[in-house]
Amino acid sequence: MDVQAISAELQTRFSLPEGALKVQRATRLWVDVDMAGFPALFDHIVKGMGFNILCTITGLDLGADLGYIYHLAHDCGIMVNVKTRSPKGSTVKSVTPYFPCADLYERELVDLLGAHVDGLGPGPRYPLPEDWPVDEHPLLKDWTPKGATPAGDAPAAGAPAATPAQPASPPPAAPAEKGSTPA
Amino acid sequence: MSDIDRVVTVPIGPQHPALKEPESFMVDLRGEKIDAVRIRFGYNHRGIEKGCETRSYTQDLYLVERVCGICSFSHSTAFIHAVEEIAGLEVPVRAKYIRTIIGELERIHSHLLWLGVAGHEIGFDTLLMYTWRDREQVMILLARLTGNRVNYGINTYGGVRRDIAPDMMPEILKVVDSLEERTKHYIELAMREQTLIQRLSGVGKLSKEDALFLGTVGPTARASGVDRDARRDDPYLAYPDLEFKVVIDDHCDVYGRTIVRLGELMQTYSILRQLIKKIPDGPITVKAPRRIPEGEAVSRYEAPRGEDVHYVRGNGTEKPERVKVRAPTLANTASVGKMLEDGYLADLPIVVAAIDPCFSCTDRMVGVRESGTESRGAGRKTMTWEEVSRYGVEWHKARGLDFSSLGIPGGIEA
Amino acid sequence: MSWVVAGVNILIFPGMFFLLVLGLAGQFVDRKLYARLQSRVGPPWFQPVADFFKLLGKESVIPEEADRRMFVMAPVFALAAVVAAYLYIPLWSTKPIFSFYGDLVVVLYLLLIPTLTFFLGGWYSRSIFSTLGAVRSITQLFAYEIPLLIALLSPALLADTWSISGMTAYYQAHPWYWLFNLIGLGVALVTLLGKLERVPFDAPEAETEIVAGSFTEYSGRHLAFFRMAIDAEAIVSSSLVAAVFLPFGLGLPLWLGIIVYLAKLAGILFVLALLRTVFARLRMDQMINFCWRYVAPIAFLQVIIDLVLKEFL
Repeated sequence: MDVQAISAELQTRFSLPEGALKVQRATRLWVDVDMAGFPALFDHIVKGMGFNILCTITGLDLGADLGYIYHLAHDCGIMVNVKTRSPKGSTVKSVTPYFPCADLYERELVDLLGAHVDGLGPGPRYPLPEDWPVDEHPLLKDWTPKGATPAGDAPAAGAPAATPAQPASPPPAAPAEKGSTPA
Repeated sequence: MSDIDRVVTVPIGPQHPALKEPESFMVDLRGEKIDAVRIRFGYNHRGIEKGCETRSYTQDLYLVERVCGICSFSHSTAFIHAVEEIAGLEVPVRAKYIRTIIGELERIHSHLLWLGVAGHEIGFDTLLMYTWRDREQVMILLARLTGNRVNYGINTYGGVRRDIAPDMMPEILKVVDSLEERTKHYIELAMREQTLIQRLSGVGKLSKEDALFLGTVGPTARASGVDRDARRDDPYLAYPDLEFKVVIDDHCDVYGRTIVRLGELMQTYSILRQLIKKIPDGPITVKAPRRIPEGEAVSRYEAPRGEDVHYVRGNGTEKPERVKVRAPTLANTASVGKMLEDGYLADLPIVVAAIDPCFSCTDRMVGVRESGTESRGAGRKTMTWEEVSRYGVEWHKARGLDFSSLGIPGGIEA
Repeated sequence: MSWVVAGVNILIFPGMFFLLVLGLAGQFVDRKLYARLQSRVGPPWFQPVADFFKLLGKESVIPEEADRRMFVMAPVFALAAVVAAYLYIPLWSTKPIFSFYGDLVVVLYLLLIPTLTFFLGGWYSRSIFSTLGAVRSITQLFAYEIPLLIALLSPALLADTWSISGMTAYYQAHPWYWLFNLIGLGVALVTLLGKLERVPFDAPEAETEIVAGSFTEYSGRHLAFFRMAIDAEAIVSSSLVAAVFLPFGLGLPLWLGIIVYLAKLAGILFVLALLRTVFARLRMDQMINFCWRYVAPIAFLQVIIDLVLKEFL
């Protein structure tokens, strides 16, 4: 299969606007599509063209929107990256009917970027712990760690006394501490 | 037992001797048979993707290398490929070859490590001891080539940081020859040793259809007859110049996964010989800009455990806008539930281990402080690799353990 | 026999103290051989002693849910049973400390008790891993115990006595007859691996599945005594195998007799270490299958051989 042929087929079939298709190199194609056109395009690439490997789903914080990139690969080595976007708070459809392994990738979008994925079955959270606040999404650009002390600083005064302070010991000793010199 | 039909829930993890990394498997048992498994991941989330966004590209390179202890080079190379594609850097051919050599050596040490862990999971500790002793040769070689046993730090934007000296080439070949001999022995063992075959065959079945449907990657997929290898399908580095076979197998079980990994080891030895024969002279690096232009790229790298995918988006500054890492284990977790269906509790450790989940490795200290001196300044001295090795042997000898009698090839005789 | 002599015999030599020293030495031999066979360095000679005393000094945690009495008593019972069994086994002469007609059966039953205490200790720990290990221990018991019993009884059939000292006396009188029982020796060595819960029959304490099986909740001195009981059990059962299947060199002077006895023990320990080096752990179902399909019929073959021989000799 040839990347130009794939590009041409997508262009004619879905009448994509100028610049929506970008051939980066012989095995990389980028497709920009809006949310409305996404399901049909995705279905055609997977079912019609045989791109049956979902490498991963990347979520992006684009300011007002969340971006999604579906990295699809074919056995011949060509990779089509389908990019789409939707406003924050809106819902995207799950691709788990096509790829069951997308489950963890989509849970990542939910946990780390606050995406709403429609059709994601029940299951444990991933990758954040169960007691992590549901409205905190670390990969959003305006999110900063809360309550964390900058690296290298001592814990703030008045920190819980329950945790015994580390004795001010030297760093783990080199093997030469017994006074023996290297041979 | 009168209540043999009662379902017992056994927690395997997050802390359990079978797991080298925290994950949780809640196993419902009916007698010795597995009824259902509930899997929970994410105990090791360290926020590396977020961390990358707040650091410069140079810092990120070393951060990404620490995603995994065993396939550290895979992650740093996958990351660097994406960045180099955005920046439009053309890496010198010699650097590509050096990267390939390190990558393939890493595959050897990872597969040998896996073989040992697999042996341990089925209670065959002798295999663990033997393979890890052999693995020591490649670890020592990697330390001599790059300065480190893990997290080699040899990649840099536009090339590699260290050249391989001409007198090291025969050393590499020596290790390859010795390991090839050992691997042949292990292949024979896998073909003939009855308890090993009994414990591995028919365990953790994953049909080709399921493997395709669940997006399984790497040796796990190839053992189910899925003919995929990013090195051949989407070639990078020096792989277009090399001849090698993608090892596939149709056992569809843990035994098949063992056969595939052993077969891949044999391929890797042949790849390394070709690399050393073909490596051209020339520069090992080109100058890379500090600011990476706007753009995005995604790279695929066939890590020992399967395909490693990195996505990088640059925004014209010295920090990336977004870095996304898909480690091979994540793709394979979906298939674990399938493999455990109708299995025995006794097979759970080996089934989980058979996808070769990534686990962290330890780091070493080379700077030595003499007693009574400051950690910096006059008392501080640097030891060469030979000195460190000899020092380790002497230190244990003084405490009654004489390792030199084991005669590890490539190790330093005291 | 005066009470003092009996006390010394039971408690010091060749009874309990001697057995415990041998047990620790046996553990060292086993670990060292295992290590060397795996191309490792292995522990120094005092490691088992150091481990034992270190464990004695550690805190003993008893789970709140556990049955306290059973939990504490299990290791003591195990140790007591193996020490008692040792008193009936002829070591370097045909005369053990105690002997009566039928002591072979009693020794076999005494050697059953440690496995039962593994079960009880694990079961009453109430932890899920201990319970699973306990159930596996008892399941495995049914697989190896019958072949072991048959293998040990067949030389007795030939000697026509149920006393171990009687058997050794018989084989002493007919020096080469023990060669007829080599199949039984093989069966006994294989089933001993099951009794001592070693690879390939160590499913009851398979660390990658159920942590440490019955012993998961044990710590400190309770664990130390359990470990000691297992070490002593290895010596006692090896001595039994040596007395039953290798009954030669028993009429020698004491010092030479002890050396022959120790050599026999070392030989058996070497075979046990070798076997556990070269195999992978079998699953429970495979283990039971193996014992009933192969080991038990071979043990019966030994019985038939001995019955036929008895007619003709």
